[in-house]
Amino acid sequence: MTFFAKFCIPFIIGETVLFTVLAIKYFTWLRDLPKKDWKLIITNFFSLRSISALGEVISESLLHRRIFKVNPRLGYMHMSLAFGWFLLIFVGFLETIAYLGLRWIPLQGHVFFKYFVPLNGISDHIPAFDFTMDLLLLFVLSGVAMAWFKRIRSRALGMKKTTKHTFFDRIALSALWFIFPLRLIAESVTTSMYGGGSFLTGSIGNALSNILSINTLTHIYEPAWWLYSLALGTFFIAMPFSRYMHIFTEIPLIFLRHYKLQPEAKEKSYDNFEVEACSRCGICIDPCQLQSQLGINDVQSVYFLRDRRYNMLQQKIANNCLMCGRCEQICPVGINLNTLRLNSRSSMRNIPHEGRYNYLRGVDKSFGAGKVGYFAGCMTLLTPNTLNAMRSIFEAAHEQVWWADKDGGVCCGRPLMLSGEVDSAQKMIDYNKSLFAKHQISTLVTSCPICLKVFREEYQLEGIEILHHSEYILRLIKQGRLKIGYQHDATFTYHDPCELGRGSGIYNEPRAVIEAVGKLLEPTHNRKNALCCGSSVANTAISDAQQLTIATKVASELEATGAQAIVTACPLCKKAITRGTQQRVVDLSEIVAQNIKQ
Amino acid sequence: MINFGFSINRPRTIDIDRNNLRKSNEIIREMPELQACIGCGSCTATCTAGNLTEFNFRKVHTLVRRGEYQGAYEEMNKCMLCGKCRLVCPRGINTRGIVMLIKRKLGDF
Amino acid sequence: MKHVIVIGGGVAGMQCASELLRQGLAVTIIEKEQDLGGKVRNWHKLFPTFTPADEVLSAMRHRLKISNNLKIRTGCQATTITANSVTLCSGEELKCDATVIATGFTLFDAQIKEEYGYGIYDNVITSAELEQMFNENNVHLAHGGTPKRIAILHCVGSRDEKVCQRHCSKVCCVTGVKQAIELKKLFPAADVFNFYMDIRMFGPGYEEMYREAQTAYNVHFVRGRISEVSPTFNSQLQIKAEDTLTGRPLKMSVDMLVLLIGMKSNEHNITLRNECNLLAQPSGFMQPQDSFIGNVTSNVDGIFYAGTITAPKNVGESINEGTAAARAVIEWLNKH
Repeated sequence: MTFFAKFCIPFIIGETVLFTVLAIKYFTWLRDLPKKDWKLIITNFFSLRSISALGEVISESLLHRRIFKVNPRLGYMHMSLAFGWFLLIFVGFLETIAYLGLRWIPLQGHVFFKYFVPLNGISDHIPAFDFTMDLLLLFVLSGVAMAWFKRIRSRALGMKKTTKHTFFDRIALSALWFIFPLRLIAESVTTSMYGGGSFLTGSIGNALSNILSINTLTHIYEPAWWLYSLALGTFFIAMPFSRYMHIFTEIPLIFLRHYKLQPEAKEKSYDNFEVEACSRCGICIDPCQLQSQLGINDVQSVYFLRDRRYNMLQQKIANNCLMCGRCEQICPVGINLNTLRLNSRSSMRNIPHEGRYNYLRGVDKSFGAGKVGYFAGCMTLLTPNTLNAMRSIFEAAHEQVWWADKDGGVCCGRPLMLSGEVDSAQKMIDYNKSLFAKHQISTLVTSCPICLKVFREEYQLEGIEILHHSEYILRLIKQGRLKIGYQHDATFTYHDPCELGRGSGIYNEPRAVIEAVGKLLEPTHNRKNALCCGSSVANTAISDAQQLTIATKVASELEATGAQAIVTACPLCKKAITRGTQQRVVDLSEIVAQNIKQ
Repeated sequence: MINFGFSINRPRTIDIDRNNLRKSNEIIREMPELQACIGCGSCTATCTAGNLTEFNFRKVHTLVRRGEYQGAYEEMNKCMLCGKCRLVCPRGINTRGIVMLIKRKLGDF
Repeated sequence: MKHVIVIGGGVAGMQCASELLRQGLAVTIIEKEQDLGGKVRNWHKLFPTFTPADEVLSAMRHRLKISNNLKIRTGCQATTITANSVTLCSGEELKCDATVIATGFTLFDAQIKEEYGYGIYDNVITSAELEQMFNENNVHLAHGGTPKRIAILHCVGSRDEKVCQRHCSKVCCVTGVKQAIELKKLFPAADVFNFYMDIRMFGPGYEEMYREAQTAYNVHFVRGRISEVSPTFNSQLQIKAEDTLTGRPLKMSVDMLVLLIGMKSNEHNITLRNECNLLAQPSGFMQPQDSFIGNVTSNVDGIFYAGTITAPKNVGESINEGTAAARAVIEWLNKH
């Protein structure tokens, strides 16, 4: 058997292009990985990490477990296409072996098996294979049908907005949609002439042979296979250049991630795996408040990754993001969307300047002395109620405190990092680090979640424990150093600041503190799904009016809880939400300070 | 630099006729809200960097709008982008965006 | 006899009612406080002539002659308003032939501008509280003693998008100058600093008063908006601003900080807009038919406006609008 027919040519061209491009991409990406990353791969390759990565490949690349969590119907659609197609290939391979024995067969031999090996030429026919293959084809076709339906009514699959695709994506998408119906036709025509098939291809084949004459069937036999091969070839050529590159990229990505590789403040080769693993499923669009509340629909992570991948990223797109992390949290591929956006900003804006911030030299405006350092943060200086409350709390707990920036200090550096000027931010980091060292503190408390995140992630403050004031206050309460009078008729609702919640994983401490004072009423979106106040320092693109629109929406959700006061734990969130409501907005520390029992 | 024994002072007058307003116009076109500044000085008063060094955001952006670019990029580089100014601006100007825009335009990136 | 309900018994409402009575109509005034007089009741002296507010009010009360045609309902608030009826918050419905809304304005809550420290630090007071102190002839610091250095901050809750108050409250500039002079009269040795963004001296005698404050009373004017207030060791207040005329940051310690709080539209205006089909401006103040010949007429036939319900105004302008509204009501009633 030669396993070649003229109609195979489109398929062969397709697979050649696909595998060549894939090989080139993977080779260059891996070659350019920094030494540190290679070391990680080598040390972790022969470990359990590889096995757990394999498990994740099955559960995510094939079964799409995370999309099921977003919406079961959407999950089914993605799973039927991925897992169904995988099974078709796998069972098809078993079928080839079963009939032809274990030997090398060119790829088109497997793919067009029904053409090359018509069942009437086979003595020991195994109907179970026909049934399984038909069942799997039906499984995939159901997914295709849902994908078609999603184009018309995406809401039925739990998506308000879907991705606007590029021209190339549309070609690939159309080819993909046609592959399976065309396969159904080609196989049905074959069974109509040569028999075989099961409930699907078999029945259609029977029907065809009843309707059409054998002459007509002979005429459409080759063209049917041609069309199937053309669809496959087109898809394969489009694949490495389109969103479908994710099919292959996600697998190495999962392995690399299990080997502890991750994107960093500056772009590196590993980022390619993350960027091209985006399937542009568009699940990140709905949670984006810039989309839902401001109608901005060209900046979401899916478009950011697309633009970055095709080298057409503009600053105005990269800068227009709140970095609230709501998309990152829901991304089914688990792409580090915030870090990637940050290092894009860095590539566009990071202009190292030796003399920059030289004026920081020798500055020390701090005040007091103690083992506990309190870093209010720039924004907190504009919410003096918080400062006052923290002073009362420190006094009540008899804590000796060193005030780092009561009279204005040096910024923590995170706002500058968020805007991409990573090297310059390092100067502030170095300054503050030496300031903390000079005053020999062992605990650093901050009221600002933006500062907290950068202290924890970038400062490497050995020997200094870094606490957000919510954690610190809770500790004082637990240690019995701070006694609080519980107010039986007080109700509060809590707004999770992005940098504190999704950013630093602090959800429970502020809630525990509030519950020590009064009753906590949760808003509709809370914890991981909490909304952003809209005033994030990460966004330098939206206007004041747009910030207000978001704040008003967030505030109305908090008001809807009916609580007497809105509590938050971030000076920026406090300022933002205050603008959007007539309701009292307070910092966590204020409600504590007001209810200290002497 | 060759020392000729004398130096020429920069002219004191802001000569709008001579100044090249191209970049200034580009900046205003991209963020028209900058023109809403009423010069109240809140931004400069609250400025974290201005608290430590001679940096006056209000003055620098006003000079840039008049076509006086010399030294503006270096001045803007003193900003820490902490965002306090944006919180106090009574005209709701996106001050951080302005800092970034002026730097981008004058630094050509 | 035609019956007109005037909602709000401030100077505009009082003037409107007395004009209507004079023309032989029956009038009911609805006032939410226990007494007529509105915001002027809490004021000490009025700019630019330093006329005692009491003098103006007693003249107004004198005009509003007691007669059988006048009913005054104090201590009750109107909710929904139409041309022919007014519903009180008690649920009672009063019938009438026309209504005049003269409910005025609300003072801006200075606590919203947290960075100014009102409600946090002693000795940060509002202009309204200072008037109260003047009235009681008892201007003092929180823990006793007289202020030696006072700062007056203009535009608190006016021209500030951060608190969603875009409009200019019009009267604060001149109030600031007036209060500075009064403080200097009380404490000649004290330094008084006015921190302003723009000084808007629109009325007759205002500019002259401004000049007098500068030259005769040695009041200091600093062009710059205060951005932060913090306490000092000796329980003074440290304020930070930019002295924009020199282009340098400025900080100083003061004993007392007076916040010139602006005029905010009443929350009740939202009800007027949503339930009474009346148009409001983006600032929240009600929208008169036009600014020239229909400035006391609303978009609903038979409902009229007088005073600061439509925009910030000074006392004189509000009183004049009371007269204008009364004339408009009579004209309209004659036509119907």
